[in-house]
Amino acid sequence: MTRIFERGILFFLLCMTLFAAPGLRAQGKPPVKMKASSISVAMIHSDEIKLPADFQVALYEYLIQQLQKKGGFEHVYREGDRNAANAPDLVVLHSTVRGFKKGSEQLRQVTTVAGATSIDIHCQFKDKDGKLLLERDIQGKVRFFGANLRATYNFAKKAAQVAHDNFSPNPGAGT
Amino acid sequence: MIRGIKRLLFAVLLLVLSPFILPCNAQQPSAPIKVDQITGLTGVKNKTKGSITIDNGNLRFAHGKTNVDLPAASMQDVVTGNDSQRMIHGTLGTLTMVAPYGSGRFLSLFRTKLETLTIKYRDADGGLHGAIFTMGVGKAEPLKKELVAHGAHTSIPIQEDADKTSTKAPDAKEPKP
Repeated sequence: MTRIFERGILFFLLCMTLFAAPGLRAQGKPPVKMKASSISVAMIHSDEIKLPADFQVALYEYLIQQLQKKGGFEHVYREGDRNAANAPDLVVLHSTVRGFKKGSEQLRQVTTVAGATSIDIHCQFKDKDGKLLLERDIQGKVRFFGANLRATYNFAKKAAQVAHDNFSPNPGAGT
Repeated sequence: MIRGIKRLLFAVLLLVLSPFILPCNAQQPSAPIKVDQITGLTGVKNKTKGSITIDNGNLRFAHGKTNVDLPAASMQDVVTGNDSQRMIHGTLGTLTMVAPYGSGRFLSLFRTKLETLTIKYRDADGGLHGAIFTMGVGKAEPLKKELVAHGAHTSIPIQEDADKTSTKAPDAKEPKP
């Protein structure tokens, strides 16, 4: 009986260690933020994948909206904005569509499990001179509720979070 | 002889007046089209209902007292598309999703077809914007045609032009006997 009890405690401790370890590791190494006070967003490119025009525009617009809301930048510029030329610590975000699967809203609503829409986008954050600062693959998805365009909103939220986690106008000041 | 002179005079009169008639028709604003603005218009919230008219070469989106004008000449690309939505949508549509005995799923089968109009345009600073509108079937293509006539650009040719080119294409490829 005592042996079973001891084994139970050991198993519990093992589980605790397994669950706590990633958290501890994350706490030990806070992400180092790069200095950037403004960001310029380039139009989403889809050279290899055929992306509908409404998806392309929705990705671009939602991305700008989310960066203005959550990105933590002082200015968010659009592609071609002449004011961006004089902006200090400017980061340029280039996004390229790597994968696109247009699902069906009707199928999602009827079956719940089928008809998901997903977009895979490769995001590159570069400085003014074109030097690569950060790159990430970000996926936008709509699985259950909402129109197909919601996948673009989902992507924009994730991309803005990545920008927020890695760039800051005052990197030393913390989050 | 007199009849001939009368006819000639009438023809001359038509020719002289015709340039004055055409601009008058062009300047008349088109009938408002009910649309949903999904996203992209400056100063307008996402998913706003309103109406679109084309007036003096500008696309005007009106919602309540708010009016937003987009000059057709600033439009870099105008593209139409197709979509569909639940017949019962909005808040009521969301509520029906949790209706008992799978009736919400059953209602999802009834859908209305939509057309989308996607516009890419530049602001005064050169910044690129995009706007998406949804509207009833058969309304997007004439709107696009009108915008292109007023100076907007498009990457996809208008339906009639596309048909013309597609009918011409086989002739060009036809081998000589």
